[in-house]
Amino acid sequence: MSGSTVRVGRYELMVDRLYDPEHHLWVLPVSDTRVRVGFDPLGVEVNGTLAQLVLAPLGTVVRRGEAFGSLEAAKFVGPLVAPVSGRVVAQNPVALSNPARIEQDPYGEGWLVELETTELPAERAYLLEGAERIALWFREQVEAYRRKGVLAE
Amino acid sequence: MLPARMEQAGGILRVIDFGEASPLRSQTLWHAVAYGVSRGAPATLSFVRPAAPYVSIGRTRSPWEVDLAYCGRAGLPVYRRMVGGGPVYLDPRQLFFQITVPARWAPPARQQALRALLSPAVRAFQAVGVPAALDSYGEVVVDDRKISGHAGGQVEEAVVVVGNLIEEFCPERAARILNLPHPRVREEVERRIRRYVLATPANPEGFKAALTRSYADALGLPPQAGELSAFERATVGELDRLFGSRRWLWEVDGSPKGTWYVKIRAGVWVCAVQVGRGLIVASGVEGRVVDVAPVGGIAPRARDGLAGLVAGVKGAGIEEAVRRLQAWGEDGSRLAGAWSRAAALAV
Repeated sequence: MSGSTVRVGRYELMVDRLYDPEHHLWVLPVSDTRVRVGFDPLGVEVNGTLAQLVLAPLGTVVRRGEAFGSLEAAKFVGPLVAPVSGRVVAQNPVALSNPARIEQDPYGEGWLVELETTELPAERAYLLEGAERIALWFREQVEAYRRKGVLAE
Repeated sequence: MLPARMEQAGGILRVIDFGEASPLRSQTLWHAVAYGVSRGAPATLSFVRPAAPYVSIGRTRSPWEVDLAYCGRAGLPVYRRMVGGGPVYLDPRQLFFQITVPARWAPPARQQALRALLSPAVRAFQAVGVPAALDSYGEVVVDDRKISGHAGGQVEEAVVVVGNLIEEFCPERAARILNLPHPRVREEVERRIRRYVLATPANPEGFKAALTRSYADALGLPPQAGELSAFERATVGELDRLFGSRRWLWEVDGSPKGTWYVKIRAGVWVCAVQVGRGLIVASGVEGRVVDVAPVGGIAPRARDGLAGLVAGVKGAGIEEAVRRLQAWGEDGSRLAGAWSRAAALAV
């Protein structure tokens, strides 16, 4: 793992990127107009054992809040919801051929897609950034999930 | 347990019995309900019985998993659904139910959401005299046999879980619709289906009544017979066109690349890995390989190695077993044998 991290309980969080707090996805700008998207550790945990991953074809334009793919775990299919608007310009072949990599290495080999976007400046307000803010939000999420019995003690 | 939501989404559990519907409509009706619930319609329990046999594949699965040539000859249409799971054979002796609630009502963890939405169904089975339980895998079972096929999914802002009452079941047909590489693989799939899937021919009207009471209790909502809204009726038409299209069926089209995998029920599966012109077939129970057998085409000089592989794979988990079998099969030195059923079966 590279870049700066913070530990929240048993989770290690990369804080060199932005987070979509609603869908537990991270957004890493890889150039001025391109971001990489993947699950954060809590997103991975609540999904359970992943069985199938389907990603929108290259060139697909998605708006923030629309699905850029589907993920199946335990015979339950849920949408992958775009944290920013953009055009799908890369799919992760490793995750597509072996969705288990998403669970095993969510910040590394388990990334999902790359989006070309010019909307990040405008949509940044919906995302969290900064180590302190990310850690605070994540701690609250862990606690809330634990209270609901979603997470094992 | 799901929380009571009297104050939201109409404060009722809408109950819609679609009766008997064409294969296409037996899918599109309840998908339309999901879109309706996503947009504010009440939580809904629905029932539908297909008027004729057909095949359905899960949202993320490929039609290559289905023997399309056979289905064509047998007059079985194939439709992609929006919830999970693999290819399944559906017919008029299966009564399907769908519970659809706003997504915010369901626990965020998928496994928990499924358990919460299936638990009332288990109580309904019990109420009609079937000693059902929800096992540790999340399957509705009697002992170790699955009695209800289920799948779930999120459609916009609604979560839907589908299950069925299997009044009568045809293992031969359930295996026959699958695209499998060899008759021996199909025989093994059928054998496992016979062993691990059980029909429970309860009275369907009693089951519907029990299911309605059980979901109403779990949600804390009074049940009320209802019908589709105008929006939902229009959506049925749109979904008829979508589900009937080749584009939707083939939206996911990855073909098997030398490995076939059939889940009979959670923890029980049959896997076939191509090795040269032959196959190695592994069956798993409780998540571990219990049987391994070669089928055709293994080079005679590789038999000693194969015997060692078979012994080594027994007891392995599915991923480990497949990895070892594939690695063995990729070694070209073992693939030189001509197709020889007798030689293969000798190991």
